[in-house]
Amino acid sequence: MAKSMLIISRQAPWSGPGAREALDIVLAGGAYDLPVGLLFLDDGVFQLLPEQNAKALQQRDLTANLKALSMFGVEDIYACGTSLAERGILQEAVDEDIIQLPQSAEIAALIDRYDHVITI
Amino acid sequence: MSTLHVLSHSPFTDSRLTSCLRLLGPADGVLLCGDATYALTDSTAPLEALQALGANKVFVLEEDIQARSMAAPDWVNVIDYPGFVELSIRFDKVNTWL
Repeated sequence: MAKSMLIISRQAPWSGPGAREALDIVLAGGAYDLPVGLLFLDDGVFQLLPEQNAKALQQRDLTANLKALSMFGVEDIYACGTSLAERGILQEAVDEDIIQLPQSAEIAALIDRYDHVITI
Repeated sequence: MSTLHVLSHSPFTDSRLTSCLRLLGPADGVLLCGDATYALTDSTAPLEALQALGANKVFVLEEDIQARSMAAPDWVNVIDYPGFVELSIRFDKVNTWL
């Protein structure tokens, strides 16, 4: 059986290539039917805010890629509740398909479940 | 499953160490290399947080300690590169905080 992989994305959407790279790994894994999970941690949760205006920075919008994850068979998408709360992002502001993990112990258990972890 | 968390950034400039410690599982370990070794600076919050983990949880690369003329406290395991390889095998997986 293919080994499972958890990608932890902890960079804000416009701070550099990190956010896009993390998403690319997830999409590539999904395209090959690998069991892939995605966790948004720290500034990575800023990627979850709707209505970002990528054109202002002459970049492409990442939120469209986020929406495409389910088409690639990636259903296990998580967000760290502490990171959201620290940044004043309300639970309701985040898409309901994204599983919010309020307890750090839940995230430790999540990391534990996967065979590989990549933090970007 | 156990995870070895590898940190290489200074704990004084970003939140990697803080987040890592928050998410650390009971069987996990932390390996400090590069600027992450500054976490072992005396009388600092990162040092206290690491010490609170208890024995055999924290590892540091010897050459990065030496390069900074630092001394590792006795509760920290100082390892060389073969030791790094051995640790990577001992833990089920390695999570490098890039």
